[in-house]
Amino acid sequence: MEYSELIKDFLDDAYSHLNTFDGTLLLLEKNGHNRDAVSNLLGSLHTFKGNSGMMGFEPLKQYIHIIEELLKRVNENEEEFPKVLDGLFESANVIRNTLIEIGKNPSVSIDLSEKTLALQKIIKGANNLSKSVHDLTKTDMPDFSSYLGAKADTIKVNFKRLDNLLNLVGELVIFKTRLNQIETDIKGAINNKFLVKELTEGLELLGKTTAGLQDGIMKVRMLPVGYVFNKFPRLVRDLAKSQNKEIQLLFQGEDTELDKTIIDEIGEPLLHIIRNAVDHGIEPAEERLSKGKKRTGTITLSAIQESNYVIIKVADDGRGINFEKIQNKGIERGCLKEEDMLDREALLSLIFSAGFTTKHEATDISGRGIGLDVVNKNISRLNGQVLVDSTPEKGTAFTIKLPLSLAIIPALMAEAAGEVYAIPMSAVDESIKARDEDIHVINNHEVIRFRERVLPVIRLSQFFGYDGKMHKRFYLVIIGRGEKRVAIAVDRLKGKQEIVIKPLDDTFGKSYGIAGASVLGDGRIVLIVDIMAFWRDSSLKEFEND
Amino acid sequence: MAAIHLPPSGLADDILPDFIGHSSEIHLVTFNLDEEFGVPINQVYEIIRIGSITTVPNAPSYMEGVINLRGRVLPVLNLRKRLGLPEKESNKESRIIVTEINNKVVGLLVDAVSHVIKVPPELIENAPEEVIEVDTDYITGVAKLEDRLVILLDLEKLLRKEKIEIKEGGDYGEES
Repeated sequence: MEYSELIKDFLDDAYSHLNTFDGTLLLLEKNGHNRDAVSNLLGSLHTFKGNSGMMGFEPLKQYIHIIEELLKRVNENEEEFPKVLDGLFESANVIRNTLIEIGKNPSVSIDLSEKTLALQKIIKGANNLSKSVHDLTKTDMPDFSSYLGAKADTIKVNFKRLDNLLNLVGELVIFKTRLNQIETDIKGAINNKFLVKELTEGLELLGKTTAGLQDGIMKVRMLPVGYVFNKFPRLVRDLAKSQNKEIQLLFQGEDTELDKTIIDEIGEPLLHIIRNAVDHGIEPAEERLSKGKKRTGTITLSAIQESNYVIIKVADDGRGINFEKIQNKGIERGCLKEEDMLDREALLSLIFSAGFTTKHEATDISGRGIGLDVVNKNISRLNGQVLVDSTPEKGTAFTIKLPLSLAIIPALMAEAAGEVYAIPMSAVDESIKARDEDIHVINNHEVIRFRERVLPVIRLSQFFGYDGKMHKRFYLVIIGRGEKRVAIAVDRLKGKQEIVIKPLDDTFGKSYGIAGASVLGDGRIVLIVDIMAFWRDSSLKEFEND
Repeated sequence: MAAIHLPPSGLADDILPDFIGHSSEIHLVTFNLDEEFGVPINQVYEIIRIGSITTVPNAPSYMEGVINLRGRVLPVLNLRKRLGLPEKESNKESRIIVTEINNKVVGLLVDAVSHVIKVPPELIENAPEEVIEVDTDYITGVAKLEDRLVILLDLEKLLRKEKIEIKEGGDYGEES
């Protein structure tokens, strides 16, 4: 974020704290001392003080600190309160004048030493109160007109209102699609070329405006991912300290923006991954030195936007994942057999299964029985993917791929067993035509040869419990996760479409393999396929194969 | 609602006694499933014809599917299957009663909607188990009208029980 933007944010925030200050003082003047009100005010001032310090306005920070002291004191000695009220009102004006100065010129040097002294006097000299307050009140009247003239550039909006707006836009997108379909019908039905042209033009404009509106609303809901990142430095510091490790946490691309609903949800998965990195990844300083590594371990938290997705990466330069341990653990837990020789990737995907941890002793922080399976679950609930890559002694990197928005996603519409299903594009690699004879059977499992690889085939209709009968010619949708590929067989493809995701009511339980529903332009409902279910299905098959 | 004619006096008080006594009557929407069933009208959102119902795979058998009600995706329960009554193809008489219970909107597929009736509470009795085919757990009582019985359904229980019963289809995310 630009410095000037930060200043703007700071000022907006500062004025709202100042209003709280003024408001509380007025209330106290009217109704007498009220401990709760003062406590609330103290909270607000404390934030204000912190922000001022963070922005480098040291004198302002100190000044607010003195006000806090004064208020705390008053809270303990109520009878002093009326005596200092004027001084407090005055201090609000001092702050206001300072903010106005900052607004005019952010690099202005602030000198509040006199005012600070005056306030300190109030605190010290209860006897001399009336005098010092008198000194104080000599402050120039603030320039109220310029205060009123300072217009805020930002407004606070309840997120629910934005949510409602987005829902309405979602409906608008649906109705627009509907109109487009009617347009096609009308073209065939009426002969008045002029009217048809008018309609087409009108609809085109409507389409553009709708797209603009959708885009606008989405942007309004975006927050920089730094919002979440900034919660971690303190955590990493404390964790590292408690384990006698030296760790630095670096950020990259923290300005990358994501929908607030996603921002709200990624904190927990990131927390798990970062805890893992601190706990299991980074070695203690001595161990690192003996390995010829730098004393201080590094965890890099980065975000980058790629078309409609945001890629968040947590990389550490620690000891990496011990594949042998995973294999042993897998055998111990019964999901692997002694003779199974799994490749790196298959082993890595194991760490996302429930309750899987290779660290022998549970530490303070992780190893509480929750782990990467939770991460995986949370991320796939957001229509995202999480992948891991690791090189022994070089480090581990978790990559999370998330859609920019939760509400509207591009999807591939595919027909199977007479119903249309939406497959989120985030998982789709490509789609190809296929014929009956392209499918081979190995060990009772259907596979297809594709680009030098043998991919398992899942018939969508069979997957959903219908009979798997298909036409002679059909389509295969290749979906990918890391290096893995699965071919989903469907009867027909119906094109790509932006769909508005609506959750399915779970009164009747969750339907396996279904992630939600969406309403199409013609009013029909399509169900959205839960991609994660395929991976579970195909990985099970693989274990049976080997 | 029938028009109310004010008395010549113009005072509502003068005709109020006509209405008192009726106020505690229970309004029911009744529908047919071999027998006549009823649900309180304040739980009914609206009654619609059957449009296209999208089947949800891996759902319990008594879940008919989902429908689009003005942009909302609603689950529809096949009440026959839910109550263990013999199945019957839906026809043009069939309706979906859209109900709202505890902020949940759910559609109920029924054979036909018959009436909206008013029942004085004294005509409602506990369900006599021997005369009713349906599991009495879901029944709040029976309204004994002059010529027939109306079975009162407890929708809240009917919907709440779903959650517990659904074990099929595998729990999401639980690795086996």
